[in-house]
Amino acid sequence: MSTKRGSARKSVLVGKFVIYGSLLAIAAVYLMPLWVMITTSLKSLDEIYSGSFIGLPEAITFDAWVKAWGEACIGTACTGLKPYFLNSLMMVVPAVALSTGLGAINGYVLTKWRFPYHNVVFGLLLFGCFLPYQAVLLPMAQILGLLKLSGSISGLVLVHTVYGVCFTTLFFRNYFITIPDELTKAAQIDGAGFFRIFFSIMLPAALPILVVSCIWQFTQIWNDFLFGVSFTAGENAPITVALNNIVNVTMGRKQYNVDMAAAMIAALPTLFVYIVAGRFFVRGLTAGAVKG
Amino acid sequence: MFRNTQFTDWLAKWMPRLVLTPSMVMVLVGVYLFMIWTGWISVSSSRMLPNYDFVGLEQYIRLWSTPRWHTAVFNLFAFSFLFLAITIGMGLSLAILLDQNIRAEGALRAIYLYPMSLSFIVTGTAWKWILSPDLGIEKVVHSLGWETFAFDWITKPDFAIYTIVIAAVWQSSGFAMAIFLAGLRGIDNSVIKAAQIEGASLQKIYRSIIIPMLRPAFLSVIVLLSYIAIKNFDLVLAMTNGGPGSSTEVPSTFMFSATFRRNQMGVGAASAIMMLMTVAAIIIPYLYSELKESRHVD
Amino acid sequence: MKKLKYALMAGLLAATSSLPASAEETKIEVLHHWVAESEVAALNVIRNALAEKGYGWQDSAVGGMSGSNAQQALRTRLAAGNPPAAMQFLGYEGLEWASEGVLRNLGDMATENGWREAIAPQVLPFVDSNDGFFAVPINMHRQNWVWANKAVFDKVGIDQPGSWSELIKDGQKLKDAGIIPLAMGDEPWQIQLIFDSLVADIGGADFYKKAMVDLDKEALSSDTMKHIFDTLRQVRGLVDDGFNGRDWAVATGMVIDGQAAMQVMGDWAKGEFLAKGLKPDADFMCFVTPSNNPSFLFIIDSFGMFYINDENVTKGQDALAQVIMDPKVQSDFNKIKGSIPARVDVPVDDFDLCAQKGFAERADAIKNGTMLGAATHGFASTPQFSAIFGDVAAQFFVTDMSSDEAVEMLVDGIDNAF
Repeated sequence: MSTKRGSARKSVLVGKFVIYGSLLAIAAVYLMPLWVMITTSLKSLDEIYSGSFIGLPEAITFDAWVKAWGEACIGTACTGLKPYFLNSLMMVVPAVALSTGLGAINGYVLTKWRFPYHNVVFGLLLFGCFLPYQAVLLPMAQILGLLKLSGSISGLVLVHTVYGVCFTTLFFRNYFITIPDELTKAAQIDGAGFFRIFFSIMLPAALPILVVSCIWQFTQIWNDFLFGVSFTAGENAPITVALNNIVNVTMGRKQYNVDMAAAMIAALPTLFVYIVAGRFFVRGLTAGAVKG
Repeated sequence: MFRNTQFTDWLAKWMPRLVLTPSMVMVLVGVYLFMIWTGWISVSSSRMLPNYDFVGLEQYIRLWSTPRWHTAVFNLFAFSFLFLAITIGMGLSLAILLDQNIRAEGALRAIYLYPMSLSFIVTGTAWKWILSPDLGIEKVVHSLGWETFAFDWITKPDFAIYTIVIAAVWQSSGFAMAIFLAGLRGIDNSVIKAAQIEGASLQKIYRSIIIPMLRPAFLSVIVLLSYIAIKNFDLVLAMTNGGPGSSTEVPSTFMFSATFRRNQMGVGAASAIMMLMTVAAIIIPYLYSELKESRHVD
Repeated sequence: MKKLKYALMAGLLAATSSLPASAEETKIEVLHHWVAESEVAALNVIRNALAEKGYGWQDSAVGGMSGSNAQQALRTRLAAGNPPAAMQFLGYEGLEWASEGVLRNLGDMATENGWREAIAPQVLPFVDSNDGFFAVPINMHRQNWVWANKAVFDKVGIDQPGSWSELIKDGQKLKDAGIIPLAMGDEPWQIQLIFDSLVADIGGADFYKKAMVDLDKEALSSDTMKHIFDTLRQVRGLVDDGFNGRDWAVATGMVIDGQAAMQVMGDWAKGEFLAKGLKPDADFMCFVTPSNNPSFLFIIDSFGMFYINDENVTKGQDALAQVIMDPKVQSDFNKIKGSIPARVDVPVDDFDLCAQKGFAERADAIKNGTMLGAATHGFASTPQFSAIFGDVAAQFFVTDMSSDEAVEMLVDGIDNAF
């Protein structure tokens, strides 16, 4: 009896060891690229060219970061990433708000106010997500030109909203479908109208999925390059376009440290969102499943 | 009272459709209208700028006579299959491991999730260096003394596509993990306890109870990962730019280079239509079966 | 087709947002792909000269992919009816846009200022056509240079090779001395660059024209072409195995360090040597790719002006064109950029030795008919065809295809692209 318990305890211990070991080993692999990026951005250029990429910097220097933020040349304008960072911010916030808002109300309608063929409508919306974006660049440019939005940040906001709605609708619809219909039907009987139900019942309950949707949209839109390079130019460009200009220098010694610092600066907002709001992300996904 | 009901009935009927209208307009124009436009271009002789004439299937014939397109199609399937299988496997395993009441779960979860936040350009560039035999892993291992170690897949035309799989899996498995973890947390413990009492082994419990209950999570993961696999453009461009040679060409890079670099807009459009048809062939039946089921649920 | 052209033009004229005709400086928006520091410094020469004429410069830089990203940005801008005032063109791009009727005809200015006489006849078709004089060239690069480390050459006891077979034999001597004969990366354009040189050097100027420009099937499937691929295979043996993903500038660095002996690259590699304070002839060698009838594979950067419905902008575009063709601007710009002026009448006596060599050899090439457009950069055939050469050469180089297979792939590919 005691040996059985002893060996059981031992196997639990071994089990725990295996679990923690695997998790930590995998975590190390996951962290490696970030490690490479950070250490490279802190090294001097000579050190990078004489050593390999994976290794601690001999002398930590923040020169590359300063340059990337305020001095790097993006074309003939040597302003660093700062103005483009602001452009991206001005683009992302409205785009996330609009696409999430539309997704929420779409999800609400598709689950609580069903009409004939509502599944077809949802299917049409969803299929739109899989469109290869390269195919829509030219026709979309024509439309933006007609709307006099070509080259502007508002144009980008519109584009991202159009192509973000399918995702946000997916998130909200799958979430709202788990909220019992009785709740809304009862509210209706009490005299609450369409929007009243949305704002006082659905939205408050949707906080977790709201977070998920915002995080997903923020990441997609912030990191987008294709639409940015096609529909804006020069001063209105988002940070990904500016980053591309810094990183894609083909003349002269490649300034790897500035490249990495610039890439890190461009990645900071999304990294921040994921690390800080990451647990809300999982909580949001969990909440949706629990109500099932 | 009577008027109120009539009004609320009218409202109930039309408000939903009204509210959906902006999104439907955006999607009908931004997706379907543009798809039709692309289809039209694919049967035209467009080169640099759109040309709205009709040349039948000439561009499609040209497309399928291009060896690079065959490589691209093969790569898409090979990449998608491996990417989906490995990412789902990794994601599920990580989720199961993390579900075991681990200390520092939050920190570990953040570590697995953060790659998702990086843009593919950043990821591609970083992995390009790590996998390059001159600068990355191979060099480090050599300097540690193990001279015969070789990890130069990225230089070999036959293997380069698998390096892209590695980078893509790294980027997305955390996300799959998060979805599976959420799904696992949503499973009622009592079901599991009941099975344990009946003496079922841990493996059996996972295989016959837990994993089937994760079906909605699987749907979300497959949809989102397929989306990433098909859209895979920035990553290939940043890591290998279609090389070595054209061995890592994928349909999206092919379409882009045909339309914007090689003045072959018609061929580019044809390739886009082929991509769409493939996507439709796979996604539509899957979605249909899932949505049909949910109709029974309500 | 014509209808579309006019519709597009009308659309552009009508839908273009009118720029404010204010009393302040009119800005000319220039779309280009020069993003490196040296390139930007060179651009500033033009910028400052334009400012002296009273016009501002609005910069729209889109780097990457050797200008492909900028081309894409231009297309979407045109589709939106909102083109930039000026755009940097490579290869046949300018010609194609001119034929679509969206570029301004600067013919009158050209005649007035005698521009046509100042541009090499082989280059003229890329800026002047039936649709008008549509672009002004600022510089000329040469693609087929060999850059070599003098110390290495001296140590191993070799000198400038007179033919590719000699170069390959020298390669063996270098390998025996533990030095990588040829430094390069595996990007298709780097491989195609060597292919172009082989075609011109081994096949000769006429063969080059037949194969790369006329795309003549006979030339493409000839034994000469097969021999060229055989030679390319031998060149592969001169390159180390670590050339994957290697940036061309890193390869130049290998030559500078003495790790490698030679690099076949355009004259933009010169800047790498000069930046390290190395002197031509003393520390590094620059010579044409070996042949008994050397050719000059040229590349030019030119700027075209799009139709924009604003009088001030139009005047500004004229000013920009004048500035670009100004001999002094050409001289200053090219000194920084490392190329030679596009105008053949601008002296390069105060440029470095390699530039002077290039200038002299260009004059010879024009006389001898060996002045050829560089295929890799789009000056031989239009992109859908030149890309095929790149595909085949790159595929051949990184696999162990046979020369016969390569020739077949080439012929099929070119056929398919018509």
